[in-house]
Amino acid sequence: MTPAFQRNLARLHRFEDWVLTLLVLVMVVLAGAQIVLRNFFDSGFPWAEPVLRALVLWSAMLGAVIATRDDQHIGLDFIARFAGGTALRVARFVALAFAAALCGAMAWYSWALVQLDREGHTEGVIGIPAWMLELILPVGFGLMALRFLIRSVLPAKAHETLPETGA
Amino acid sequence: MIWVIVGLLILLAALGAPLFAILGAIALIGFHMAGQEGIAVAVEFYRLSDMPALIAIPLFTLAGYILAESKTPQRLVRLTNALVGWLPGGLAIVAVLACTLFTAFTGATGVTIIALGAVLYPALRQAHYGEKFSLGLLTASGSLGLLLVPSMPLILYGVVAQQFQTTPPVSIDALFKAGVLPCLLMVVMLGAYSAWHVRNVARPQAAPRGELMAATKDAAWEIPLPFVILIGIYSGKLAASEAAAATALYVLIVTVLIRREIKLAELPRVIRHAMVLVGGILVILGFSLALTNWLIDAEVPEKLFQFLRTHIPESNPFLFLLALNLFLLVFGMLLEGFPAIILLVPLVLPVAVRYGIDPVHLGIIFLANLQLGIFLPPLGINLYIASARFRQPVMTLVRAAVPFFLIMLAATLIITYWPGLSLWLAR
Repeated sequence: MTPAFQRNLARLHRFEDWVLTLLVLVMVVLAGAQIVLRNFFDSGFPWAEPVLRALVLWSAMLGAVIATRDDQHIGLDFIARFAGGTALRVARFVALAFAAALCGAMAWYSWALVQLDREGHTEGVIGIPAWMLELILPVGFGLMALRFLIRSVLPAKAHETLPETGA
Repeated sequence: MIWVIVGLLILLAALGAPLFAILGAIALIGFHMAGQEGIAVAVEFYRLSDMPALIAIPLFTLAGYILAESKTPQRLVRLTNALVGWLPGGLAIVAVLACTLFTAFTGATGVTIIALGAVLYPALRQAHYGEKFSLGLLTASGSLGLLLVPSMPLILYGVVAQQFQTTPPVSIDALFKAGVLPCLLMVVMLGAYSAWHVRNVARPQAAPRGELMAATKDAAWEIPLPFVILIGIYSGKLAASEAAAATALYVLIVTVLIRREIKLAELPRVIRHAMVLVGGILVILGFSLALTNWLIDAEVPEKLFQFLRTHIPESNPFLFLLALNLFLLVFGMLLEGFPAIILLVPLVLPVAVRYGIDPVHLGIIFLANLQLGIFLPPLGINLYIASARFRQPVMTLVRAAVPFFLIMLAATLIITYWPGLSLWLAR
């Protein structure tokens, strides 16, 4: 990887982190405000419910993208306890290249879904057309495909352990 | 041809391919063979944004991760210690209770071992509890609490099970109610064994006067939390997703703005940790939504039932439950809690209903078994987490965990064969 590529990748990482933080904070505050409004003021935003559901999908997809770059996806990991060296590298390459291909296919199909809803002018929520809400699918799967390709040739990252909480 | 594909996918899974990719491949191939286009899989996956109960998962997970990184674990241990630490075996009971409450909030058993183990292990050793006993206790206690509100695996079971529109329905509130007594049973059995085991260890001195008051004051911000959630849900005032919203906002404000134990600049990292877990689970769930429809169309659960019926007659649900226990234990060990729920519920639930098992009771059976599988040798993940946390060889932890495993196995069998224990509060 060239230095310029790595720099851009790092920039992309930071961008993803910030978008995710923003989405999650909006989700927490909006969902919390909704409870307070409903229980104490007998009101609430009628649009909050569908927006929150969209936020769940968007933040989950971004979480999955970040999980890809950190080697944190859930899978069977016992091979690392039995194999090492070249065998492990080959296994890792095969497994992750397969994941990249699957994500590529999903990016393709979900892009087709976006196109379909765009042409059909499908309604989403509060005036946002459905295809815009669906955009996270091709974007997310596309980013994951790219990450899996990169990770497949690199050695596994050690799982980031939780920081020691006190003591 | 089909067996070549199946074999290939199993091989890929064994090589360490992410589980969601395996499921996605099965869904794409399955839809293709049923004459549908790949775009249909994308449509099914997008149903993730159409499940109102789902929001409880990111919100409770975030709250749990924020609590795990604050000083709440220490305050929790201090408070339970002031409350029950003076009993015989008090500190062991403290460990069991604190771990249970903590896992209920984070839903992640490994996090409990890491976060609470740091506080509890030195304390147990200092109180002259044996090394082996302390290690086994903490490894086992980590997975307690999965049955207690607001445990995220319980929510996940509800979300997956709701797709099947069983009668009686599986509401998340009903699951929360059903989990209380079984969880209590496990806590009491582990606590009693611990107190008996350390009967010869000198009893700790009673805490100095005023310690209970001080510990209560120290934890003043956290104490209302379980009560608001429990009362809110058990009274029917708050749905699970609403309780999650209230909890997440409250925890965020208290920890970041009032106590400032997590700096604003650290918040993105904590959010990222939580959402990496949630994202990893939800992509698996998304593809399993596609698969579930396909399974139902292909009548796979029905065929499975017809096949099973030739070996286990419908009149003998006990035998079915026994087989289910073994099956869940092994898969719980291989897959950990979350993916095991997402993958197995669509297959097992329709079959179990045909054997006359209440779907809410089935949820409790599922989680009780997964709790065990998580530290079942040789591959249970918590054995490895504890091994890394306490810097002990895995074999030491396996041996240390055996008595605790047997007690929880006994509890799981009671829970399985006594439906009333789960259903008494729920129905």
